[in-house]
Amino acid sequence: MNKFSYFCLSFLLMSFAIHAQEQSAAKKGHTNTNKFKQLYDEFSTPNMFRSASGAPGPAYYQQQADYEMDIVLDDKNAKISGFETITYTNNSPDELKYLWVQLDQNQRAKDSKSPLIETSGVAPVMFPNAFTKEYMQEPLERGFNILEVKDESGNPLQHMINRTMMRVELPKPMKTGDKFTFSIKWWYNINDHVMEGGRSGYEYFPKDGNRAYVIAQFFPRMAVYSDVEGWQNSQFWGRDEFALPFGDYEVNITVPADHILDGTGELTNRKEVYTKTMMERYEAAKKSFDKPVLIVTQDEAEAAEKGFSEATKTWKLKAENVRDFGFATSRKFILDMMAVKIGDKDVMAVSMYPKEGNPLWEEWSTRAVASTLESYSRMTFDYPYHKAISVHAKQQGMEYPMICWNYGRPNEDGTYSDRVKYGMMGVIIHEVGHNFFPMIVNSDERQWTWMDEGLNTFVQYVAEQDFGEKYPAALSPEDKHFPSDRGPAKMIVPYMGGDQDFIAPIMTKGLNTYQFGNNAYGKPATALNILRETVMGRELFDYAFKEYANRWKFKHPTPEDFFRTMEDASAFDLDWYWRGWFYTTDWVDIGVKDVKKYYVSDEPNAYMKKIMEERGIKKKQLKPLVYLVEEGSEDFKASMKKKSLLENSKPLQDYIMDNFSPEERKSIKEPKYFYNVTFEKPGGLVMPIIVKYNYTDGTSKEVTYPAQIWRLNDNEVSKAIASDKEIASIEIDPNEETADIDTSNNSWPRKTEQNDFDQFKEKIQG
Amino acid sequence: MKLVKILLLVCTLSFFSFSAVHEYYISLTQIEYVANKKSVQIISRLFVDDFENALRARYREDLTFGGQEETENIDEYVERYIKDKLTIKINGTKANFTYIGKESDIDIVKCYLEIEGVERIDSFEVTNKLLFDLIEEQQNIVKTKINSNQKSVILIPQKDTAVLKFN
Repeated sequence: MNKFSYFCLSFLLMSFAIHAQEQSAAKKGHTNTNKFKQLYDEFSTPNMFRSASGAPGPAYYQQQADYEMDIVLDDKNAKISGFETITYTNNSPDELKYLWVQLDQNQRAKDSKSPLIETSGVAPVMFPNAFTKEYMQEPLERGFNILEVKDESGNPLQHMINRTMMRVELPKPMKTGDKFTFSIKWWYNINDHVMEGGRSGYEYFPKDGNRAYVIAQFFPRMAVYSDVEGWQNSQFWGRDEFALPFGDYEVNITVPADHILDGTGELTNRKEVYTKTMMERYEAAKKSFDKPVLIVTQDEAEAAEKGFSEATKTWKLKAENVRDFGFATSRKFILDMMAVKIGDKDVMAVSMYPKEGNPLWEEWSTRAVASTLESYSRMTFDYPYHKAISVHAKQQGMEYPMICWNYGRPNEDGTYSDRVKYGMMGVIIHEVGHNFFPMIVNSDERQWTWMDEGLNTFVQYVAEQDFGEKYPAALSPEDKHFPSDRGPAKMIVPYMGGDQDFIAPIMTKGLNTYQFGNNAYGKPATALNILRETVMGRELFDYAFKEYANRWKFKHPTPEDFFRTMEDASAFDLDWYWRGWFYTTDWVDIGVKDVKKYYVSDEPNAYMKKIMEERGIKKKQLKPLVYLVEEGSEDFKASMKKKSLLENSKPLQDYIMDNFSPEERKSIKEPKYFYNVTFEKPGGLVMPIIVKYNYTDGTSKEVTYPAQIWRLNDNEVSKAIASDKEIASIEIDPNEETADIDTSNNSWPRKTEQNDFDQFKEKIQG
Repeated sequence: MKLVKILLLVCTLSFFSFSAVHEYYISLTQIEYVANKKSVQIISRLFVDDFENALRARYREDLTFGGQEETENIDEYVERYIKDKLTIKINGTKANFTYIGKESDIDIVKCYLEIEGVERIDSFEVTNKLLFDLIEEQQNIVKTKINSNQKSVILIPQKDTAVLKFN
């Protein structure tokens, strides 16, 4: 080993030693806080029920609850009563001593604790009726009246009601594979959902004295028993939605004879409840794929709303493999239908709305339903049910299997604003989309609001864009795309850049989040959109997302099943992404901190001169080396700018001439400009660095450095860039696709960026 | 009757969640002192439906934001309402602000206000009662960036004023 190469080696090692010394100054140990650490601590250990791949394991099971119900609606008194027989199948390996049944209506009962957990204060000014309601009125008679709970032979079953949950004692414990049949008789007063709130109830129309009912979580429903939660019997406080097992339903609903009704399941006695004209129109609708066919016209509905029939009619619905049941009924309903081809099957897109929804609803509701089914089927699996219904209900946006309620009401004169129109289309797409998440991919809403709302809002964004493309006439003239308000990265910036005291990680129970909409809908939807468009790319993401949907359709997935599947199907390590976006409240802020420009030289630069002086090395002892000289430094000479790379460095020239054939030399790159670019990351989230290099000749190049570039330094990283073109400017995240909360550091040279305020002021005042 | 209904609705619905509706009542007001322009720049973001309800309750039943349906002189009402509900004192003296204008999109209205000729700020007091007249649970977040200090406070009807001191 000659002296010089020894020197070179020690020189290399030296720089590491200096680095290590600086580190040890802190003198403090730590656990593994690397942002790329795998999620072993957060995730539970995979087991026979749930595999490490994210798929259901070989011992995966789920319970089944089948219902037979006779329901009677008392329209005059706004009361509903029912007799239901539940057959419960224990597929779990566990022995069950009792069953838990959900009594959601008790959340509205007089003794409900829901109002008690809301903090409140004295308002300085109140309207008299709000004051009266708050301080003077008795609460209304609401909640379930459970008349009897009996076994198959009619013997009463011991039961205990703890608010919204009822424990039913089993005569003998249920073993694996056992079935148990029991019945419940109940009634309750229906709430006015417009005045009292709630996801179901009625709207009263004072002008004609009618009610329109949207009825759901109206019957005692089995709770879920699973390998992850045991009994999911977390109380219903009013916010976190539902966890329900799959089962088959046979439901007979008796309503006034002049009502129009539809709900979850196949209508098995259509000929009994439809008129001959309705049947003919229904047959026509089955063959109409481009235009909704009116089954009940507005004129007919307006005539019906004057009737108030004393007679009744029973509508029979049968549904297989659904997780819930809901229905809507009124004599005010207009009904239209249109067929839509999903795979090799015809599905019926259905809308029911009072005349108050027109002209908006007849024009767009059923089309939005059909378009949604197409988009979601493409992103997941073919819609497996035979129909999807959109019901117009004031201020509602709520989903059940095959049926949902949606807002969007025009003014009385039939005019409507863009906001009402887009709001109505958006909510229909969202709620119909819920058929996929969580009605079929049946996550636990009580525990994880984001799993259905976030995933659904993400696909909603895709479906809204599709809808805008399919129906340009649905858009207002100034809009080129459907104006989605959730999905695009930059729309989540105000939330993620907001006050940390009022932000919770996505992995938080809905009830305990501060900004429910952003937390459970906006942020997860955006996170998935960024994952799809920016991190993974559509091809990898879409395959994995589809795999998740298919693995877990008609099953109960957990967040981990989703996280694991997305990696399993893509060979994309995403633990860092889940950790940052889902388990923390960190935000994205990446910038370019510094750019230095270099030329090559064959004269020792200041750096080398210092070493030579320290070590007493003479210039002639050095082997030929390539030196990089920063523009503007003392070693820099203006002449370097004019010369080519090889003209600037004789050692390099010699090396190339000696080691490459003339043929090889032709293809050798000869960059002229060298840059040291330093990127900074004030934000806690690790993300790819998307960089656009703009050159002085007007061309540009976009480079993405994967997120792993941050694995050894979470604050600052640099890159040496060799270029045959001169860089004029550098932009980070040029297309605003990462939700970077502070873009003032995103460009070099720093733009003296006009803030939002100055931009607006300039626009207004010119 | 309509007003009363709206109020009642807003009060009673606040606890219940809807799968696609915003069900929290928050506004965000960003205040930045740009010393070299001697200007205090204010942007207030309010939910368009709540704001519309507040203006309708107070001034005119038909006031509407956004798109082609927007009421022609709605800016007059916006200015009147904001000047009524937002008060700022700089160094102990009530400051007059100019209403620059507003932008609205599907969900949110952004209002732009400016106080000019501010030489220095030793103390800054902001009272933000926006929408408190309509919504009991309204929370108004105020974020300030003054003399390179960033602060964030939440104002509620029971405590609608914040004072920041810079000495």
